[in-house]
Amino acid sequence: MIEVSNLTQVYRSGKGVFNLDFSIPEGEIFGYLGPNGAGKTTTIRNLLGFANADGGYARINGLDCRKDAARLQPMIGYLPGETAFLEDMTGAEFLKFMSDMRGTGDTGRRDSLTERFALDPRGKIKKMSKGMKQKLAIITAFMHDPAVYILDEPTAGLDPFMQNVFLDLLEEERGRGKTVMMSSHIFEEVQRSCDRAGIIREGRLVAVEDIEALNDAKSRTYAVTFADPADLGKLDGLQFRRISSNRVEITVGHDYRSFFQTLAHCSVVGLYSSEQSLEDVFMKYYGRNGGTDE
Amino acid sequence: MNKTLFLVDLKANWRVILFVSLVFMIYVLTSVLMYDPDSIEKLEQMFTLFPEGMLKALGFDTLGTDLNGYVAHYLYGFIAIIFPLIYIIVIANKLIAKHVDSGSMAYLLTTPVTRVKVAVTQAVFHVSGLILIFLIDIGVLVLLSSAVFPGSLKLASFLSLNFVTIMTLTVAGGIGFLFSCMCNDSRNSLAFGAGIPVAFFVFKMVSEIDAKLEGFKYLSVFSLIEIDKILADPAYGLGVGFILLGVSVLLYGAGVIIFNKKSLAI
Repeated sequence: MIEVSNLTQVYRSGKGVFNLDFSIPEGEIFGYLGPNGAGKTTTIRNLLGFANADGGYARINGLDCRKDAARLQPMIGYLPGETAFLEDMTGAEFLKFMSDMRGTGDTGRRDSLTERFALDPRGKIKKMSKGMKQKLAIITAFMHDPAVYILDEPTAGLDPFMQNVFLDLLEEERGRGKTVMMSSHIFEEVQRSCDRAGIIREGRLVAVEDIEALNDAKSRTYAVTFADPADLGKLDGLQFRRISSNRVEITVGHDYRSFFQTLAHCSVVGLYSSEQSLEDVFMKYYGRNGGTDE
Repeated sequence: MNKTLFLVDLKANWRVILFVSLVFMIYVLTSVLMYDPDSIEKLEQMFTLFPEGMLKALGFDTLGTDLNGYVAHYLYGFIAIIFPLIYIIVIANKLIAKHVDSGSMAYLLTTPVTRVKVAVTQAVFHVSGLILIFLIDIGVLVLLSSAVFPGSLKLASFLSLNFVTIMTLTVAGGIGFLFSCMCNDSRNSLAFGAGIPVAFFVFKMVSEIDAKLEGFKYLSVFSLIEIDKILADPAYGLGVGFILLGVSVLLYGAGVIIFNKKSLAI
């Protein structure tokens, strides 16, 4: 159980996090979403007990994250956003070092994870690719079987196949009752694996929502090119934005029927689905509920 | 103290310790082997050819007439400070600030080992490495001189001189360690943590060039290595050494406390 209450930390630049309030119950995967620089890592620094908050507190399973940091660590599996291992070690040496520091004797879980992620840990970390380092960081975070996971952009650097391996592992851990906080700026990833998501922007938590609700609010945008510019006149029933004389961006929510029916009568020569950025999704989400429709 | 971390430090830094020990040892060997009770006078005649300021700065102005004095002036005015000093300032930065700068400190702290334990382990390693360098080289010096000139080395005064020298270096090390704990990046940690000890060294050298510049000695902890005074009165050296020990403990302790309290951006 993760509890963040009124947490504030302001850097000299004026950036930071302000009055954060949220809690993550046991057995939940919580996605922590926001653009780069929004305050995701600052929040995580407080949860790990690295940073001194200016106000409020963060607690995990009832213990204060800063004061009881060392007591909390055996319960936490942490994956840093920017992994920096110890110099000059091989992957295997690093895993052994972390086991020794944690005082965990069992190597079974470490070995099965190494196999699962197909990591050859014998090479020097310095020589490893970004993907290999990320695998090593994942194994380090999971190998001591902690109750709580704090993962800062865990799939960064992984190829799509390994991303799936990782998301499956996360699913399993949820099944075992683990609590997960996972930061990300990729909406699809959060959508797939999380129960709820908190959205942070400019240091403030702007929403905490069930993924279901976000999915309902989600819409997709398609860039459509027409052979005949006159076809633009037929689009009245759709939500669209004109880009050029024969090109529009159509936003579709649930009603694909009218989307296809309308386009069937037009001379479509190009149709591209554009990935919605997190910002788009939330702009729209808040557009609908907050009354700031553009 | 954490044994796992200590051993990792040793594995990462043994080359520096070995390198410094070996370079220091070259001078230890030559100092003893060059000692010739009959030719000291000749050597001093030769030195009159060099500018006096330069000899003073290098600590060669008065070569003692016995083995103790000879070895002490040859080594403890310059060699026994500068080489261990290199170890001290390089490693001080590596032990804390570099881990914070690179982010690898996050891994040290996401273990049940407390910040205080991490910092104390690093401090203990820092001092242990320095002591190891001296143990190796003093050991070689004592063995060699007892083989070549049996009974000539007066151990009490020689060890007192080493005690003072090591303690001036732990004060310098404590300053390096303190800044390593205070600074969030290697750049600042090195600017102050290496800059101040190096300045001490430079001030000591400058103070010995000319009587007019003697005042600089008050700006350097290394001026407390008063070779003749300590050799003549080992108990005096012991007293100075213990005061420096106290200062060192305060500096390292302050580093540990600051590291424990600070807000880390890792």
